[in-house]
Amino acid sequence: MPSYQDILPQVYEILRQFTPEGKSPTEDMELVADLGLASMQVMELLLEIEDQFDVSVPLNILPDVKTVKDLVTQLEHITSQP
Amino acid sequence: MEPTYTEHHLPLRAAGFRTLPEALDYAALGQTGFNFYDGKGKLYEVLPYKLLREQAIALAYQFSQLGIERGSRVAIVADTRADFSRFFFACQYANLVPVPLPASIHLGSHQSYVEQLRGLLINCRPAVAIASDDFHLFLEEAAKGLDLTFLGTPAMFSQLPGEAVDLPLPESQDLAYIQYTSGSTRFPRGVVITQQMALSNLSGIIKDGLQVRPGDRCVSWLPFYHDMGLVGFVLGPVASQLSVDYLGTRDFAMRPRQWLNLMTRNRGTISFSPTFGYELCARRIRKEEVANFDLRSWRVAGVGAETIHANPMGKFADTLAPSGFNPQAFLACYGMAECALAISFAPLDQGLNVDHVNAEHLAESREALPVDSQMKSDSPQEKERITSFVNCGAPLPDYHVEVRDDQGHPLGERQCGTIFVKGPSIMSGYFGEPEATAEVLAHDGWLNTGDIGYCINEHLVITGRKKDLIIIHGRNIWPQDLECLAEQQPGLRSGDVSAFSVSSPHGVETAVLVIQCREFDHEKRNNLVERLKGQIHQELGIDCLIDLVPPHTLPRTSSGKLSRSGARQGFLKRKDWGHPLQQSASTIHETTTGACTGSVS
Repeated sequence: MPSYQDILPQVYEILRQFTPEGKSPTEDMELVADLGLASMQVMELLLEIEDQFDVSVPLNILPDVKTVKDLVTQLEHITSQP
Repeated sequence: MEPTYTEHHLPLRAAGFRTLPEALDYAALGQTGFNFYDGKGKLYEVLPYKLLREQAIALAYQFSQLGIERGSRVAIVADTRADFSRFFFACQYANLVPVPLPASIHLGSHQSYVEQLRGLLINCRPAVAIASDDFHLFLEEAAKGLDLTFLGTPAMFSQLPGEAVDLPLPESQDLAYIQYTSGSTRFPRGVVITQQMALSNLSGIIKDGLQVRPGDRCVSWLPFYHDMGLVGFVLGPVASQLSVDYLGTRDFAMRPRQWLNLMTRNRGTISFSPTFGYELCARRIRKEEVANFDLRSWRVAGVGAETIHANPMGKFADTLAPSGFNPQAFLACYGMAECALAISFAPLDQGLNVDHVNAEHLAESREALPVDSQMKSDSPQEKERITSFVNCGAPLPDYHVEVRDDQGHPLGERQCGTIFVKGPSIMSGYFGEPEATAEVLAHDGWLNTGDIGYCINEHLVITGRKKDLIIIHGRNIWPQDLECLAEQQPGLRSGDVSAFSVSSPHGVETAVLVIQCREFDHEKRNNLVERLKGQIHQELGIDCLIDLVPPHTLPRTSSGKLSRSGARQGFLKRKDWGHPLQQSASTIHETTTGACTGSVS
């Protein structure tokens, strides 16, 4: 069961393909407002996450995810479920 | 688990139902039904119409014991799940009015989604509100302090007592449902549709538009809170006894190939999407995987719900050609929730019929003069003189369309004006909004569609919109909602912003917000743009192009009001976007007839 600290670098790695060169994400950055993800990129990001972590991201967590930290926290929670 | 059959012994009955319960009663005699697939393509629930009917009636008994009046509203958060259809049809048997609520949530949208739900609940004043486990907490938060007889999940509802009683079945004049045309909290527009309206539109769609036949099977990822998803792919299949394979809307957006997988797997024949769905597939499907699909059975690839752009459609057809996709299957249609769903369909099996017209002449005289499409290959200057629109076909039988000028006089062939429509499924009005209703619906039954276009031999060609409504990915967005978000930013005030949509150089509908900004600091300007983009995404789930301009850039009308059409014209000029002449064709129109979105083919 991966911890927050295990998941974070993997999420950074995935985010890299969606963010402009030279903009490195930090935990407090907002995915849309700071990292500039477009709505379809959000979908592609979720797809990458589902595939890489082999999880299903429930629809109802999205409204409470703004920052990278929120996303990783939710992933930690999802991956800890049986 | 096995999906429901495509073919069965029950003779196809395409019309003659007076009410939705009658339609389901008949469909329940066969072996077809709804099939729900998850994002990874796994079939997780099968709901044959026979079972749907039994369960809907059992729920209707429970509704009957809540002691609520006939015609009371039942708000249902409409995610793509079997429970939605159970409750929707339970309302039909109990003579209650289901109101599908949007299940569209985005990153960080918690607060705005709850506010949106609350606005709609306040507007439709339901007695009961239902949401699946995924949405229950949002609904509960939204309904805080509102007077409801019951609020909960389907599982909670199932605990209610439910002895068999005589059900108060609806008559044809009773309301079938209320459909919100946009999720706007500021401008809720709940279209009121009766049983008769719904059934007459459905019979036109089934018999004339699609000419449904034995062997047909539907596939849909369209949201159930959208007219095309609800009327076209929940009610339509019931009223024509067809099986449907459903994929959630978000699952489609994440994995568009699942749409084509489903088409392949069960030999789907009928599926619809706004242009953007085809565009998304063409962009995301890899060349080497095309051979995995078999799309030879797909006989109706419908397209509508937003301006139809021929270019991305052609790209889709080219990309998927090796899988047997037939471009003749493209079926352009025109319609709106105010008319239940459909107004016109292009002829079947003919593909998209694109009308090439002289842009300059259209701009000057509002007449769509055809040009030889061969000219397209000529010089770039010639090319710029052409603008192209997709023909949306003839109105359904019993529907009448008129193109009128600004004084309300009917216009002739190929004359561009506002489209009015009359027919058996025009709404009775917007729920609880008599003024908004009176703005679009005349006493003589003619509906002002707010769209602009022209007719060729009774066939309808849409060139743009007169009303300011922005349609992105098939979703309706009011410019006022975008403008309001911008005006709330520090340092900006009302009158500093204007929102509209344009057709991007790639032929994609794009929302634009022009802002008069007094800030000169580069970083602060960037922050404003990023912050606003984020908020727009959270609230409305769309991307928006933000254009900062100096004060006094936005044009005003003679009465001092901001002119969205003028702002749009200025934007296109600054950006030098697309066909200058074609775009100016649209904008010159606007000065006289309102906003007009052209489609570049």
